[in-house]
Amino acid sequence: MSRHPAPDEFLLDYAAGALPDGPALAVALHVALDPRSQRTVDRLNAVGGALIEREPVPEVGAIDDAVLERALARLDEVPVEPRPAAPGGRKPVFDWAPAPLVPHLRPGMDWRRVMGKFDEIRLDLPGDFHRVSLLRLESGRGLPEHKHAGYEYTVVLQGGYTDETGNYGVGDFAVGPGDQRHEPIADPGEPCIALIVVENPIVLTGPWGRWLNPLVSRGLI
Amino acid sequence: MLSADEAADLIEAIATRQDRAAFSRLFQHFAPRVKAFIMRSGADPEAAQEVAQEALIMVWRKAASFDRKKASPSTWLYTIARNKRIDHLRRNNRPAIDTDDWLTVFAPEDEDADKSVLAGQTYTRLKELLGGLSADQMLVIEKAFFEDKTHTAIAEELKLPLGTVKSRIRLALARLREALEKDES
Repeated sequence: MSRHPAPDEFLLDYAAGALPDGPALAVALHVALDPRSQRTVDRLNAVGGALIEREPVPEVGAIDDAVLERALARLDEVPVEPRPAAPGGRKPVFDWAPAPLVPHLRPGMDWRRVMGKFDEIRLDLPGDFHRVSLLRLESGRGLPEHKHAGYEYTVVLQGGYTDETGNYGVGDFAVGPGDQRHEPIADPGEPCIALIVVENPIVLTGPWGRWLNPLVSRGLI
Repeated sequence: MLSADEAADLIEAIATRQDRAAFSRLFQHFAPRVKAFIMRSGADPEAAQEVAQEALIMVWRKAASFDRKKASPSTWLYTIARNKRIDHLRRNNRPAIDTDDWLTVFAPEDEDADKSVLAGQTYTRLKELLGGLSADQMLVIEKAFFEDKTHTAIAEELKLPLGTVKSRIRLALARLREALEKDES
């Protein structure tokens, strides 16, 4: 059970399928790690099911028998897939990755040192305008103080971090307007790994920001 | 009409023996409902029908993944239809991504959690609970599900402060939680 669950309104956005891919992945990872949020999403999915059952069919949804015939004809080419194996086939290199992250991790992906301060794996979610990254911070190290337009979503996958708003551990979800400057520091123990989703662009606010921001905006760091 | 148990039997019949008659019955019950649901987002009837058909074919493909102890058939179908709607919107606006990725993204990871109680909740009970929400709360819930709008987009559209929309959502969910937890105890 995390101490910082995703707020209800983001769980609703997620269950309704309204979130863009980056934020949806952030909520999916949080939900995979937090049974209480999972339960809320299950309930919201059940609300979705109830709304479908409630549809008055004869007026709007009527479907021609020919459509069923066409669907039946297609079934010959669509195998009924065997029951999927229970989760557990995780990649050993990324043993901290919850199931919803695994499809996004490709062979050969590796941490890249950024500004000598932290490691990053940039995830590619086609068509999404968010910058989606895994960040790894050694204990006691901080991210450069930064701010950005739009929301920033963070989900802790290993270790923990502390910033002005509190202490965050595995499964915790943080979301906030990116115009609040903040400076997270990794907690003692194993390195902190988190998924960070931000709307572009990031603006560094520390003393080096003026020189580094052009590189950030060009996606070089 | 098709009860939740009957629908679950039909899905299992597909999983165990590729039962085409079971598929037809599921199709006749769910496809029109999914079509009507999708049309609420403003999709034209042909597009909505396409999404409904794709969703039902996915039911066939993934029948073996269905677990009646974890979710009711209509809940499971909702998650499939929602992902198909996302795919459809993506095809229109953005590069395609494999639907299987989406099923994975939305698939619950926790195998142990006891969700049997949730699975047993009939839509009648949920319908009753939804009926107990205030009109303001219901409007926000419906806009999210029918029009796939985020709470931020809903606040903008209704010209309401973000905090008002958030508190409507939180109150609505608190009422659902409270009532469902009472049922379970």
